Amino acid sequence: MPRADAPANDGLLPAWLSPGAAVIASLGVLACLALALAPTTASEGRVMWTFARPHYLMYESRVEAWNQTQTPRIDLKLISLPAMERRMMSAFLGGVPSADLIEIERRAVSRSFAGPIESVGFYDLTDRLKQEGLLDAINAPSFSPWTSRGRVFGLPHDVHPVMLGYRADLVEAAGIDVSKIETWDDFARAFSKLQVDANNDGEPDRFALNMWETHNDHLELLLAQAGGGFFDESNRLTVDSDINAHVLATIVTWIAGPNRIAADAPNFSAAGNRLKADGFVVASFFPDWMGDIWKHEIPSLSGKMKLMPLPAWQKGGRRTSVWGGTMLGIPKTAAKTPEQFEELWKFAKELYLSQEFTEILYRQGGIVTPVKKHWSSPLFDEPNAYFSSQPTGRLYINLAPDVPHRNSSPYNTLAMNRVADALVRLAEDARRDKVYDYAALKDRARALLKKAHAQVADQIARNVFIAEPDAAVTATPLQPGAFAPPRPAERGGLVERSETGEGSWSPGTQDDQVAAVPSPASPAAKRSSPRQRGDESRDPQSDMKVGGGA
Amino acid sequence: MSAKAAAMPASSARSPLAPWLFLSPFLICFGVFTVYPLIQAVLLSTQTTFGPGATRFVGANNFIALFRDPLFWKACSNTLVYTLGSIFIQLPLALGLALLLESPNLRGRSWLRLVLFSPSMVGVVFAAMMFGLIFEKRTGLLNQLLHGTLGIVGIEWDLDFGWLQQHVMLGLIVASLWMYVGFNMTFFAAALQNVRKDLVEAAIVDGAGPVSRFWNVTVPAIRPVAGFVVLMSVIGSFQLFELPYIMFSSSAGPDNRALTIVLYLFQNGFEVGDLGYATAIGWALAVILVGCTMVQRLLARGEEAAA
Repeated sequence: MPRADAPANDGLLPAWLSPGAAVIASLGVLACLALALAPTTASEGRVMWTFARPHYLMYESRVEAWNQTQTPRIDLKLISLPAMERRMMSAFLGGVPSADLIEIERRAVSRSFAGPIESVGFYDLTDRLKQEGLLDAINAPSFSPWTSRGRVFGLPHDVHPVMLGYRADLVEAAGIDVSKIETWDDFARAFSKLQVDANNDGEPDRFALNMWETHNDHLELLLAQAGGGFFDESNRLTVDSDINAHVLATIVTWIAGPNRIAADAPNFSAAGNRLKADGFVVASFFPDWMGDIWKHEIPSLSGKMKLMPLPAWQKGGRRTSVWGGTMLGIPKTAAKTPEQFEELWKFAKELYLSQEFTEILYRQGGIVTPVKKHWSSPLFDEPNAYFSSQPTGRLYINLAPDVPHRNSSPYNTLAMNRVADALVRLAEDARRDKVYDYAALKDRARALLKKAHAQVADQIARNVFIAEPDAAVTATPLQPGAFAPPRPAERGGLVERSETGEGSWSPGTQDDQVAAVPSPASPAAKRSSPRQRGDESRDPQSDMKVGGGA
Repeated sequence: MSAKAAAMPASSARSPLAPWLFLSPFLICFGVFTVYPLIQAVLLSTQTTFGPGATRFVGANNFIALFRDPLFWKACSNTLVYTLGSIFIQLPLALGLALLLESPNLRGRSWLRLVLFSPSMVGVVFAAMMFGLIFEKRTGLLNQLLHGTLGIVGIEWDLDFGWLQQHVMLGLIVASLWMYVGFNMTFFAAALQNVRKDLVEAAIVDGAGPVSRFWNVTVPAIRPVAGFVVLMSVIGSFQLFELPYIMFSSSAGPDNRALTIVLYLFQNGFEVGDLGYATAIGWALAVILVGCTMVQRLLARGEEAAA
């Protein structure tokens, strides 16, 4: 019944409908109508998701060409990476359809590998890759982020070798010959000459390297370059390894103390770009995709930059690393018949492996294809004006085979975060206590990494699926040597002196490396993978074991 | 009973299904969207799961692991620091601003009210990005300001001072002050308008000074509203997520210094994919919030009894 003080109804509305209720009801009806009449974009043919606008722009013409001549029609959609990860995982976990082809980034895809191997939502491509010779045709390290328990679930998009980009105008004016720089020690010695105190405040206004304890990507690539990281080839946790402790301690000597050579010029930020343009940092880490970003974001440095291989952690060591990575996968729900799978597989190969795409990938994104037969293309020898006319494609390709292998563990990000925490604590402890001595830093790094290791191990131990025998029984061994990671000595990373297991690491020489290849009885050999030991049959229960760090 | 009701047939008036029929829309929605998810959440917290097809019962293991997890305790301590900052800095400031706005001599009251309230109309994401830029090291507004200002008196301020590295919680509290102090001020301003003028005048007649009037007249009068604001602030603070998540680029900041309980829940549930553990964190948060609410109610009841 209307309240006595309610506004008078002038007879336009029924007695039971007050003006307020009428307004609300009208809004409800209008909203429903708007929703019902809103144009919907129904997908035609097969849907492919990608997460990066540059990728989307690169694929547009290829997809258009495909749609004009081939079937099924491909509907390319750009979706933000977090949204894609949520949708993909929801679909995989619920067993419902998502897209028909999913292009996804390394860290986002690793979550799909967390459960039993048969629960991975992507088709296992291993056998097809073997049959068609693609395991050999594609750069071996490019498969590693999409390989779980010996099975490959994605077609690699890239290699992403990392070089060091430096301000050639400043370096050459100072008379520094970068060809003589082989190791990080050489780099620190040579480039520290460039650190000047222009305003006489006692602090340099220019630093040799763009590196800080909060730069997780840089930390990860340096660990990978050194042969460290978070998991070994047998998926055993190696957060507390001696190599990691060495890298962390060395980084702190770069970013803190009297011999500091590094400063913080964040990537992908206006503030960081300004610092780079102003010459606050001389050298930065450059994966192949980074050059294109700098071209657009810091055009003022065109013609002033040059690339050089990363200095190695020791003489003769690996001169590159890896940063980023993308794959194209076919969800199991996308193809219910072999014919449907074939259609999608054909498109995937056409998109990623063709010569035309190699050219688009390089010209539009600066990205080097993982398809080895295309590496001989003269395209990669073209001078790059941004980098003082260097043939940057060729420089990256020369390093591509040496790119370190990575692990596809769903716990990589977690482990990375814990190691990054350890680096932050180490740097702050060093600044607080004014202890910059490498040996002392390394001892402290060991303790911090041990704690980080325990935290990650606890988390992994809660995942009953990965360690269960039935979780990996469907995994069949790869062909020996198909794309098995080489031994540490072959990779050029640092090698632990595993015989003692007491953390007696030293940078060492080539001889040291050879001597340090684990003997069958050594602890390191016990940790090494069946592939390393030459076994053709993998022990399924060896996957994702906790512990076993140095 | 009215004549109309009395005239209704007895059978329809006494139908046992009638109340349930009228209640059914609410009961169905409540059951589907509240009771069922709650039961599922209890079950999920006792499982390790990888989608509905792969679940394992682990009993209380998630809760046991939670209580042994140093990161959970770090998240709790960070959240508590932020909550205390919200209560002991933000709310007194909000009350002070409300008192200022109530001052009879203040000119431009409406304009000032709008200025103070307007940050709460800004999205958290925008505020987080803005404060991220303000606290930036070399190019940030704060460091540049301190460098320029202190430089005048001959003090060198380090442009590379990392506010968001060394004073993470301070940065978050300052950002939340900017966003929410005006919002809470409006509650206090409304409460102050309801303070009985006759009591204030009686206190003046009795010779009470401004401080005495504030403690003995104003504070008791606004206590129910203050209790509500404190409770809302505590609940809001314990649910802190977007501000650190955006300010620290989807991470928990250096050495997890910006890790809050909800952020830790998010990391476990949606980044690691450990939904059982994330649910256990959710239950822990629920217990904390229920505890806070009960404490607040007990305090309020005690005060009512004392009055």
